[in-house]
Amino acid sequence: MGSGTVSTFQIWKLTFSTANVLSGLVVFILAFAVIFFTSRHVSMRPSKGQNFLEWLIDFTNGILGGSIPAKEVSGFGLWGFTLFLFLFLSNQLGLFFNVAINGSAIVRSPTSDPIVTLTMSMMTVALANYAGLHKWGTKGYLTSFIKPSPMFLASNLFEQVSSFLTLGLRIFGIIFSGEVLLEMVWTFAESKGIPTLIAAVPIEMAWQGLSVFLGSIQAYVFLTLSSVYIGRQLEGE
Amino acid sequence: MLSHLVIDATLYNGDSIFYVVTFLLLMWLVKIFAWGPITKMMQQRSDKISDDIDHAEKSRAEAATLADQRQEALKGSRVEAQQIVSTAKSDGQEQRGQIIDKAEADAQALKAKAKDDIAQEREAALVSARNDVADLSIEIASKLIQRELNASDQKELIDSYIEGLGKPHES
Repeated sequence: MGSGTVSTFQIWKLTFSTANVLSGLVVFILAFAVIFFTSRHVSMRPSKGQNFLEWLIDFTNGILGGSIPAKEVSGFGLWGFTLFLFLFLSNQLGLFFNVAINGSAIVRSPTSDPIVTLTMSMMTVALANYAGLHKWGTKGYLTSFIKPSPMFLASNLFEQVSSFLTLGLRIFGIIFSGEVLLEMVWTFAESKGIPTLIAAVPIEMAWQGLSVFLGSIQAYVFLTLSSVYIGRQLEGE
Repeated sequence: MLSHLVIDATLYNGDSIFYVVTFLLLMWLVKIFAWGPITKMMQQRSDKISDDIDHAEKSRAEAATLADQRQEALKGSRVEAQQIVSTAKSDGQEQRGQIIDKAEADAQALKAKAKDDIAQEREAALVSARNDVADLSIEIASKLIQRELNASDQKELIDSYIEGLGKPHES
C-alpha cells in the first residue's frame, strides 16, 4: 500500500513489484484451485461443485449476453468467465489476506494497484478493438472512427482512451479505498490498546462486509462495461 | 506512461506484462480444466433434454394412437357380440317355430292315420262279421233243411234280413 516502502525487483530491465507479483500468483493459484476442484467429476447430473461452476458460467455468459450480439457471445465466454473470476478473487483477497513485511505490503488485493487494473482494462479495450477489426475488416474498423462524420474522429479516439482509463481506475479506486479504510481502522484499533481494539471489531466487520459487496459489484461492473465496449465494436456505430 | 496521472506513481512496467501473462495462462488453464468439459457437458445436457422431450412427445403420440386403436377394437367387438347374440336369438326362434310346426304336423298326421286305421278296422270287422254270420246261417239252414243253398243267394237273404233288423231301430 501507499504508506510503506515498496519492495521491487528487476528482471531484464523490467521492474516488478513484489506485492503485485505475489498477490497475482496467489489469485492465480486460488482461481485455479476453484476451477480445478469444482470440475473434478463432470457428469450429466451435476454435483455440488459442478453446479456452482455451471451457475458461474451462466452468470458471466448472462452478463456478456446483455451487450454482445447473441451470435457472437460464445466467442467471449471463456474470456468473460476468467476475467470475472480473476477480478472477484483479486478484489476479495486483500480483505482477508493482507501480508506486510517491514511496512511494505507483500500480499494484498492486486486490484488495489492501478497498474493491475489498467492492465486489465487495456486488455479489454484491446480485445474490443480486435473484435471490431476482426469482424469489419481493416477498412470497416478504421471508418468506424469517423462515423457519423469525420468531425467525430477526435471524440471517438478520446472515447477509447477514456474507456480504458475509467474502466481501470473505477475498480482501482473502490478496492484501494477499501483497503486504505481497513488500514485506518487497524491504526485506530492499535492506538489505545484493548478498548479501541474491541471498539474497532464491529467497524472492521461492517467495512469488510461492505467491501466484499463492493468488490463483487466491481467485478460485475467491470465485466458488464467490458462487454458493452465489445458489443459497441461489434454492432458498428 | 500514464504514471503521472495516477496516485503514488508506483507503476511498474514488469507487473503489466506479468499480469497479462498470468491472465492468459489462467484463461488457458480454465479452458482445459473447467470451461471445455463443463460447456461440453452443458451442451450435451441441453441436447439430451431436447432429445428426451422429442422422444416423450413421440411416445405420447404413439400411446394415443394405440389407445384409439384399442378403443375402436373394443367398440367393434361389442358390436360383434351384439350381432352374435341377436343372430343366435333369431336362429333359436326360427328353430323353435320349425320344431313346433313339425310336431303339430306330425301329430295331425298321426291322428289322421289313427282315424283311418280305426275306420278300416271297423269296416273289416263288420265285413268279417257279416261273412261269419252268413256262413253260420248257411250251415244252420243247410242243417235245418238239408238242402244246399247257393251261398250267394243265402247271403242276399241274410243281408235283407239284417237290414230288416236294423230298420225298426233306426226310426
